[in-house]
Amino acid sequence: MALDIHITSLSAGHQLLVHNLHVHCPPGQVTTLMGDSGSGKSSVLAAIAGTLDAAVQFDGTIVLNDDSITTWPCAQRRIGVLFQDDLLFAHMTIRENLLFAVPAGPAAQRQAAVQQALQELGFSDMAHRSPNTLSGGQRARVSLLRTLLAKPRALLLDEPFSKLDAALRQQFREFVFAHVRKYRLPTLLVTHDLADVADSQRCIHVSTPC
Amino acid sequence: MRANTLVHHLRRFLQPERIASGALAALVLLPLLAIVWASVRSALHPGVWDVLVSAPVLWPAWRMTLWTGLVSTLAAYGLCAWFLSYAFGQPIWVRCVRTLGPMLAVPHAAFAVGLVFLIAPSGWLLRAVSPWLTGFNQPPAWLTSQDPWGLGMIAVLVFKELPFLLWGIATQLQRDDAGPRLVQELRVAQTMGYARRAAFWRVVWPQLVPRLRWPLWAVLAYNLSVVDIAQIAGPSNPSTLSVLAWQWLQDSDESTNAQGAIAGWLLAATVGACAVVLVVASSLAATPRFDGSRGVDARANSFSARWGGYVLFALCAVYGLILLALLVGSVSGVWPFPQWWPSTLSLQAWDSVASSSATLRTTIVLALCSTMLALLWAVAWLELAPKAWDRAMRWPLVVPLLLPSVLWVVGLHSVALQWGASASWGALIAAHTLAVLPYVVITLSPAYFGFDQRYAHISASLGRSYTAFLWRVKWPMLRASVYAAAAVGVAVSVAQYLPTLYVGEGRFSTVTTEAVTLASGGQRALVAAYAWLQWLIPVVGFSAAAWLGKPRQFRP
Repeated sequence: MALDIHITSLSAGHQLLVHNLHVHCPPGQVTTLMGDSGSGKSSVLAAIAGTLDAAVQFDGTIVLNDDSITTWPCAQRRIGVLFQDDLLFAHMTIRENLLFAVPAGPAAQRQAAVQQALQELGFSDMAHRSPNTLSGGQRARVSLLRTLLAKPRALLLDEPFSKLDAALRQQFREFVFAHVRKYRLPTLLVTHDLADVADSQRCIHVSTPC
Repeated sequence: MRANTLVHHLRRFLQPERIASGALAALVLLPLLAIVWASVRSALHPGVWDVLVSAPVLWPAWRMTLWTGLVSTLAAYGLCAWFLSYAFGQPIWVRCVRTLGPMLAVPHAAFAVGLVFLIAPSGWLLRAVSPWLTGFNQPPAWLTSQDPWGLGMIAVLVFKELPFLLWGIATQLQRDDAGPRLVQELRVAQTMGYARRAAFWRVVWPQLVPRLRWPLWAVLAYNLSVVDIAQIAGPSNPSTLSVLAWQWLQDSDESTNAQGAIAGWLLAATVGACAVVLVVASSLAATPRFDGSRGVDARANSFSARWGGYVLFALCAVYGLILLALLVGSVSGVWPFPQWWPSTLSLQAWDSVASSSATLRTTIVLALCSTMLALLWAVAWLELAPKAWDRAMRWPLVVPLLLPSVLWVVGLHSVALQWGASASWGALIAAHTLAVLPYVVITLSPAYFGFDQRYAHISASLGRSYTAFLWRVKWPMLRASVYAAAAVGVAVSVAQYLPTLYVGEGRFSTVTTEAVTLASGGQRALVAAYAWLQWLIPVVGFSAAAWLGKPRQFRP
């Protein structure tokens, strides 16, 4: 399973954001996209996830595991996204947040998947608590497991470590990368921080086209 | 190439969201246009303009309108800014926002009736100091409520519109890009050596003024064109232009009727001109001075909090006293002057209210139906309409707020007659819905636009449909704002006077029409009971909204 991105152009109105970008994300590895603010990194992720704003024009192809998913709606692409903020649903318990992500199927199976995730997090006794009662690091881990419970075929990371302090950042980074390897997910990470780069061979710099 | 572009535009226009948005817009725009056109047409009567401008009562009424409308608007606006300069970013602001609901729930007419109960020559205030201080054993022959200077009316409008302006600010500050950010900016300015209030006037207020434009226009338009408050607490000789127009419009003679409609348009032009002047003046007044002075308030936070607290306490005290006066008035039997408490208490007025349950039923049915329709429309519109369409729709939506109420009801009645729906439930519900709609949209918009769209992306990336996202994520997260908008809708519907009277052709009575009609008579207890009820229904609405919209309680 691999994710291949070929962007001929990505533009907002008359402003060209990205031009001729080719990225290959092999399974179980983290490919990093770095660049200045406003260079269109987040727009690239939105184009891959299928959440691109209507005002942004995309010309290119997205191929996931030999399927061209360029025109697929976001919900069908099965590409997980982690943002800078954990975006846990505040009106749901931790358990409900996880359950929301589990695909349709027999109730017992879905509950078991959630229970397993809670055990992995060490949160079995906190399942009915509000996400607001968790620390930043705990919330980030719940957010990742929620994404993984949806059984994604690829993972997009939009600066998910940037709001954590140095110690947590290191821990969470290792937690994410370990899961990427475990599930053999092709992963694209957008970051400003060189310390986030998992493999310097797999790091691409983008800059605003002149 | 051109054909391709045309096909592209056509395809874009024929997207289901756009078709639905177009249908929603038409649903509101068609009746609005018909109403505005009907009110224009009602003024088209040859020779009436000459008669109008030569009418000796016109210009004194116009001057009285300008005086009461402008002074009350400026006073409410000034008080709002002054209070905010002390309360912004302080715990007192949070307390203020909590108290706004019950204050907004008090309908204007009920407030006016209550204020008259307090300040009338035989009112509670004079009883409290008579005869030991004043020497009065009989009510003096003073004109306190319908005074020739319009002071009673100005007082009602200032006290009623101040909470509305504060609420307008509170809804804006709910947005993540406004409230928390402005508090941080205030702190940054303070770190540069600016005193708290100096920083507020230079940094926060100039950013709030443009956001207050719509509420300010609504207040100005209301204060210049209100009829029911002017009838209860306003001067009678000269009366305000809106009352004069209303009297002419009720005349059976067609030319006098047209004269009333033209007076309504004169009022509309006055509102428009004043709105332009007021917005320019308020923007100029809010332009910060960069003279390097940093102000002085060494007592900083405690001082600010204390002053903010005093203002809030005074505002709550006025509302509390008025509601108490109404409650006591509603159960008063024999109450000779200068006794401060009735000699006998009686539930006769409440018995009368209970026996006219049809009035209560009509009020509640109208409020619920119009609020439900307005809410459905607003949610569908905010969900589907492209941003540019929404921006374009804001002006037509607020026409019922900006157009003088006398003109609005003339158009409304005329359209209802043309469409054969006059004096029907359908027409009445539609009239209330059009009045409720702008308030519901204004209340709901900040929360809707402030909603983090990344939740939609997260939900979709988890494989969930858009419908599942709406029902399970977005609407539950916006629940508090939706219920708050519904409560505001109920309060606005309950307070409708002229539309109910006109479109219902007098066949439908609500607690508001009863209260205003009775206010001119001598049944003090009955007026108070209806005015109290007029307040109670919105309060139940706001309480229910607060209860239903409260955050979910999680297990510890």
